[in-house]
Amino acid sequence: MKRALVIQLTRFGDLVQTKRLVLTLQQRGFKVHICIDSSLEGLARIIYPACEIHPLIAHGSGIEGQGKDTVLPVNYKIFKQLSEIDFNEIYNLNFSAMNYALSSMFDPQKVKGHKRINGQVMKESWFELGFRLATERRNNINLVDYWAALSPDMIPADQVNPVASSGGKGIGVVLAGRESRRSLPYDVLAPLVMSVRSTIKNKNIFLLGSKAERDAGRKLMSKFPASVADSTVNLAGETDWKGLVEAVTGLDLVITPDTGTMHLAAHLGVPVLGFFLSSAWCTETGPYGEGHTILQSDIDCAPCMEAAPCYYDLKCLAPFKDSATARYLATRKPEHLPKGISIFESGCDFLGTQFIHKAGNDPSGERRQRLRKFIGCHLGLIDIGEHGPFPNLAEKFYKDKDWITA
Amino acid sequence: MDKNKVLRILVVLPLYGGSLPVGRFCISALEKMGHLVETFEAPDFYSAYNAIDDLKVTSDRHQYLRNSYLNILSQAVLAKVETFEPDMVLAMAQAPLTHQALKRLRKDNVKTAMWFVEDFRLFTYWQSFAPFYDVFAVIQKEPFFGELKQIGVNNALYLPLAAHPDFHKPGELSPVDIRKYGGDVSFMGAGYPNRRLAFRKLIHHGLKIWGTEWDGDHVLEPYVQLGGKRVSSEECVKIFNSTKINLNLHSSINADELVSGGDFINPRTFELAACGAFQLVDKRTLMPEAFEDGELAHFESLEDLDEKIGYFLAHPEERDQYVERARARVLKDHTYELRMQTLIDFTIERFNDWPSKRNINALFDNNFPEELKNDIVELIEKLGLPSNVTFNDLVSAVRSQQGQLSPLDTAVLFLDEWKRIYNR
Repeated sequence: MKRALVIQLTRFGDLVQTKRLVLTLQQRGFKVHICIDSSLEGLARIIYPACEIHPLIAHGSGIEGQGKDTVLPVNYKIFKQLSEIDFNEIYNLNFSAMNYALSSMFDPQKVKGHKRINGQVMKESWFELGFRLATERRNNINLVDYWAALSPDMIPADQVNPVASSGGKGIGVVLAGRESRRSLPYDVLAPLVMSVRSTIKNKNIFLLGSKAERDAGRKLMSKFPASVADSTVNLAGETDWKGLVEAVTGLDLVITPDTGTMHLAAHLGVPVLGFFLSSAWCTETGPYGEGHTILQSDIDCAPCMEAAPCYYDLKCLAPFKDSATARYLATRKPEHLPKGISIFESGCDFLGTQFIHKAGNDPSGERRQRLRKFIGCHLGLIDIGEHGPFPNLAEKFYKDKDWITA
Repeated sequence: MDKNKVLRILVVLPLYGGSLPVGRFCISALEKMGHLVETFEAPDFYSAYNAIDDLKVTSDRHQYLRNSYLNILSQAVLAKVETFEPDMVLAMAQAPLTHQALKRLRKDNVKTAMWFVEDFRLFTYWQSFAPFYDVFAVIQKEPFFGELKQIGVNNALYLPLAAHPDFHKPGELSPVDIRKYGGDVSFMGAGYPNRRLAFRKLIHHGLKIWGTEWDGDHVLEPYVQLGGKRVSSEECVKIFNSTKINLNLHSSINADELVSGGDFINPRTFELAACGAFQLVDKRTLMPEAFEDGELAHFESLEDLDEKIGYFLAHPEERDQYVERARARVLKDHTYELRMQTLIDFTIERFNDWPSKRNINALFDNNFPEELKNDIVELIEKLGLPSNVTFNDLVSAVRSQQGQLSPLDTAVLFLDEWKRIYNR
């Protein structure tokens, strides 16, 4: 049997977002192995039950000292196991020095994505193009599709996740993402949650998050009227991976910033109502598949860089504080939507998951559609004879090197 | 500084030329001494540089393209410095380092050394470049030292050439090689005017001439081997080892004087001695401090040389005595390892802050897992590193390997990246 190794060393959300690639490889007849940080082992076994999981230490949290007595022996053992498996293809997904180091162990001809050849780090040409496309972040493609397109014969986008539909179990509220700037403070979130709750039959609310967010859950509940608080369960810090999956399964809706739990909901076919602000932009990392809605901050500086400080006093947060937003969520009428927020709904096309503008402001929408076709032609998903040519986009995104040395 | 400390040295080779083999011997010696060496393989870039010459474009474009290409090479060296973080950049004569790159290295406090293994009278570009190196090692003394001082070079070091005994050593040749490379009297080197004039009068000894730049000499042409092609370092050793009398006549552009009586000692002097090959060599002013009387057989003039060839062909036992003494002296005092140690000691003496302290991370600290020690020790041995190697130096040695890495190599590299990312 053919074997493929997928090296995905980043976080919760990224592991879920690797799904289209994994499914594609499985459809191509590969037994898929996944190399991940050990903290995600439980989740990986749930999401990818048919895959072999190789947990190593790639993250720093929970590891004391300099790593010689922890990172080195654990990873050496895993690397020995990996070296004994005859992989036909290795998909090395993350632009990280650790990923490059790990790729050194394999025949570079078999490595897709990020590789290190005789000490020189290199990117697959598709990833090079992907890095250039990411300079237009509002028009960028979904990360799921970016990774999946490393493989030929991607499975259709609509076969990755179920079409989202309400499960009747109430609302899930994700308390915070890894980046606090991307999340709504509890006092901003509370009226929005209540507004959404008014539209859902099952009034139960489940607060989701890690132990670190348990207190934020309490604070959020303190902003609810007693009747709402009574029907709210604070699950933050109470669930392991299995518990989280059980908690999310069957919900009517998950209200969330751009988080791993959001991607888990999409994986389970639970509709997502995403609040995207700061560095989050829905076309890049929005929930995959059909049936999700994003309230996207569309002010001029969005999306910003995660690592850069904000010099504008988090002005992207202001529209979420506007009472009109709560009113919009209760009515879904575009006329109630405040300035600074746009509504996007997810759907699937030839390339992957796209976000269709429904209300607000989307000046780059036309270009985004054209860019998707340009990429579709580049990947051979649609016919350039019918949809092309794209001279301006080609001039910007194709480099001399591509033409000369491809 | 601990003299046994492992240094990280980036050797920048020239695109081509006589200092290229010297650079390779330096690399080999430094590695043998246990230092971590990375090489900038400039010769790999030479064919592209030559291709610019075939463009048939205007002179200004041609100049521009050549300069631009050399700038790229310089940038490539800087990128390597950034990654490897060497204690020293050791450049050989004609290394592709521009003024701009050298200024950058100085600003970044990366010590640079040039081993200028050329004749300063013939190759005069040193005037422009020497002040930009922190250490400028040369194969001549006065008046070169004085001139360097005048242009602000205070760290000039006399560092004569040498031999590399792992390479320049006595060896048995196959009958085929003896037939090809062997002979009574040979000369290996370029066709300088003084040599051309001299050798015309020595052809009756059955002279074999090896090396380049002999074309156009009808008298000598029948005696030039391999059509005057460049002879590799490996072939040189074969020639030396299978020749009864190796002529070693230092070059001079002045055809009037056969024996120029110049100062520097050429590399062949040391290499022949280390090979245990007999040589007849002209006297140089810097020779007495390198060799005692009786260690080398000299000649004073063309007549003297002609006569001594005959004499030594007839007295092999006397040849053997010279050979033995010369080889012992070279092994004792004139190896590339000793030269590199001299260069390092000189740099330590001149720069109090060199080598700058790195964040030393002892490899086998208390936390090191016992079950991994044996595997790591084997890896250290495989990489030729000293047993007290630091973690950072082990990582550098692993990084410099080519091809697919083993699981342990990968685990070490991975740990290093993990430490960097999480500041451990």
